[in-house]
Amino acid sequence: MNRRTQAFAVGITGLALTLSACGGGTGGSSESDGGGKVDSIKLVAAEYSDKTQGFWDAFAKTYQEKTGIKLDVQVVSWDDIDQQSSTMIQNGNPPDILNLNAYASYAQDDLLYSADDVLSPEVKSDLLPNFVTSGTYEGKLYGMPDLSSARALFYNKDLFKDAGIKAAPTTWDEFAADAKKIADLGDGVAGYAEPMGPEEAQAEFSIWMFNNGGNWKTDGKWSINSAANVETLSFLKKLADDGVTQNNPGKTNRTDGAFADFAAGKAGMVVGFSPLAGTLDESKKVDYGVAPMPTNNGDEPKSYGVTDYLMAFKKDGNADAIKAFYDLYYQPDQVNTFIKDEGFLPVTQSGVEKFSSDEKLKVYLDTLTGVQLTPTDDPKWDTVKLAVQQKIGAAVGKDGDPQAVLDDLQKQAESGN
Amino acid sequence: MTDQLDASAGAAAPPAAPVARSPRFRRRRHESGYASGLSAIPWLIAPIVLIAGVVVYPAIALVQASLSDYSITGLRRGSAGFDNYIDIFQHDDLGLVLWNTLVWVVVVVALTILFGLGLAQFMSKEFRGRTVMRWAIIIPWAASLVITARLFTLILDYEHGILNQMLVTLHIIGEPIDFLGNDSWVMPSMILVGVFVSLPFTAYVLLAGLNAIPQDLIEAARMDGASPWRIYRHITLPLLRPAMLVASVLNLIYVFNSFPLIYTLNDRNPGFTHDTSITYSYKLAFKAAERSVGMSAAMGVINVLLILVVVMIYLRIIRWREVTQA
Repeated sequence: MNRRTQAFAVGITGLALTLSACGGGTGGSSESDGGGKVDSIKLVAAEYSDKTQGFWDAFAKTYQEKTGIKLDVQVVSWDDIDQQSSTMIQNGNPPDILNLNAYASYAQDDLLYSADDVLSPEVKSDLLPNFVTSGTYEGKLYGMPDLSSARALFYNKDLFKDAGIKAAPTTWDEFAADAKKIADLGDGVAGYAEPMGPEEAQAEFSIWMFNNGGNWKTDGKWSINSAANVETLSFLKKLADDGVTQNNPGKTNRTDGAFADFAAGKAGMVVGFSPLAGTLDESKKVDYGVAPMPTNNGDEPKSYGVTDYLMAFKKDGNADAIKAFYDLYYQPDQVNTFIKDEGFLPVTQSGVEKFSSDEKLKVYLDTLTGVQLTPTDDPKWDTVKLAVQQKIGAAVGKDGDPQAVLDDLQKQAESGN
Repeated sequence: MTDQLDASAGAAAPPAAPVARSPRFRRRRHESGYASGLSAIPWLIAPIVLIAGVVVYPAIALVQASLSDYSITGLRRGSAGFDNYIDIFQHDDLGLVLWNTLVWVVVVVALTILFGLGLAQFMSKEFRGRTVMRWAIIIPWAASLVITARLFTLILDYEHGILNQMLVTLHIIGEPIDFLGNDSWVMPSMILVGVFVSLPFTAYVLLAGLNAIPQDLIEAARMDGASPWRIYRHITLPLLRPAMLVASVLNLIYVFNSFPLIYTLNDRNPGFTHDTSITYSYKLAFKAAERSVGMSAAMGVINVLLILVVVMIYLRIIRWREVTQA
C-alpha cells in the first residue's frame, strides 16, 4: 500500500515537473527582477556566408563586455529564416533583434521600435539617405540597414575577345547584338545568363526595369504593368526566344544557375554583385570585367540596390539594451568589418569613405548613392515580391505573355490593403 | 488446407490453455508482485508526456492555426472561421497539386515494390560479395534526403549535369535534356529519385519476408515438378503478402510526406506546377504570395486526413481480397 502511494506521488511530481518545464520553455525572454530591465537579449541573424557566425559571436562578446548584457545569437540560413521568424512570432516569442530582408509588415503589425526609440541621432545621421528612405514606414525609420549591395554587369573578357567585342554594351541594342555574337560562338555558351527563376526574379527584373525608366511604383501607385515595364519584360523574353540566354531562363535560379554558369565560363554576361566578384577572384577561372548596366532610354545607367534590415521588437524593458546594440553595431570598426567579411557594401557615410580607397569596390560605390531599391517600405511589397518570384518566370517561357503576367501582378498588388 | 489446419488447432487450444497457463501465472504473481493500474503510472508517464507533447499538442495547435487569421509576420489577428479551408478549396492550383500527389505516390510506391521484390530476391541468394552489396543498398537510405536530392540536382542539371554529359557523349541523345526544368521531365525525374531512396527500406522488409518463408514448402513444390515461376507466383508471393502489406503502407505514408525531395528537385520551377500537397502546404505559408500560415495549416489538416483515408481504403481493399480469396 505504502509503495503504491509512493509510486503515485512520484508519478504526479514527474508530470508536474515536465509540465512546468514546458511552461518555462515558451516564456523565453529572460527578464530580471525589479526594474523591468533585461539581462539578456536575443538576435536572430541571417547567414550571409560561413563568416557570419564568427562575426556575431565576437560581436556578442564585445557587447557583453561593454554593457554587461548577454547577447544570444542565433544564425539562421536564408532558406529557413522566414519560417523561423514567423514561428517565433506565432508563439508570442519574437527575438529582440531580427535581421531580415523585409520589415514593413512587422512595422505595420506594430511589433517594432522606431529609430526614435532606439537609435542615437549621431548613428541615424550617418546612414545613407536612400537606405533611410527605404527603411521608413509611415514617416518613421523602422528598418535599420545592416549592409547593402549594388549590382552591375559582369562580362567574360575572353568570350568578348573571341566574339570580337571591344567594350561592354551601353545600350540594349548593343547588349542584344553582343549577346548574340557570344551565343554564336557555340559550344553551349550563352550570351547572357538570365536568372528569372523563383530565387530572386524580382532582382533581375528590377535592374532591367530601372534602366528602361520603369519602376514598381510611380508616385505612390503600383505601376507594374506600365508600358515601359511590358517593353522590358518583352525584351527579356526576346533574349530567351532568340536563344542568346542559357536554357530555360524562367526556371534558372541565381546562385546555382546563372552565377554558376558565369563562373564556369559558360556565359558571356550576367548581372552580378560584389560577393560574385569574391567567388570569381577566388577560383581565378574567369577573366571578368564589371561595367554599368546598359540602358534603353538614354538616361544614366541605374543600379539596383538591396539592403537588409536589423529590426528591433518591442518588449518590456529591452529598449536600452537594443539601443546599446545599435550604438555598438554602427561603430565603424564593427559594421564595416561585418560588411568587408561578407563582401558587401556599406550603409553609412563613414563606411563609404572608408571603402572608397578599395579599387575593386569603386564601380559599385559610385552607384551606391544613386542606387534604386524595391519598395520595401510598403508592406504589400512583401507579398508582391513573392508573387513576382512565383509568376514572372512563366513570362519568358516559350508561350509566355509578358503583358498578361504583369497585368496579373498589378492586380495582385492593388488588391486588398 | 492450411485454413483447416489452423481451424482445428484453434478449436483444440481453448480447453487446454487455462489448465496449462493458470499455475504459471499464479507462480509469477507471487514472485514479482501484483502490478496494479496505479503503480503502472510512473512507467507510463514518460510515454504519455511524449505522446501528449509530440502528437496531441501539435495536432491541436495545427487545427487551431487552421482556424485562425495570421498576418504575414506570423502575428495572429483573430479567428478566421473556416475561411482558410474555403480559400484552399477555391485555390486555382489545388486540383493540379492533388493530381501531382496522386501520380507521385502511386507511381513511386508501385515501382518501389516492384523493384524491391526483384532486389530482395537477389539479396536472398548466396553469392560472393553479398555483404558488400547489402551495405551498398543501405547507403541511399542512410544518407540525408536533402543531400541525396542535392546530389541528384547536380546529376540531372541541364548545364553541368553528369547524366546529360554522359548521354550526349554516348550519342544516345543529341541535345541535353532539361530533366528538372522541362515540364514533361520534372515529374519522371522526381519519381526516379523517389524510387531510389525508397528502395533500400522496401527491399529489406521484403527480404525479411522472404527469409521467413519455410524452405520445405518451396522444396515440396519443386519435388512436385512446379516451375520456378509457378513456385514464385503460388508460394512465394502469397506468403510474402504480410511483408508487402507492411512495405506498401509504410511507403505510402513515407512517399506522401516526402518533402525534401520534391522541394529540392523542384526549387527552380516557379509556381505550383510540380508540387505535391506537402510542398504546396509549405509554399503557401512561406514562399508563395499567399504567405498564409492559416491556409497552410488548413492544408496540413487536409493532408493528414487525406493520408488517413488513403491508408484506410488501402487496408480495406487488402482485407477484402484476403476474404474473397480464402
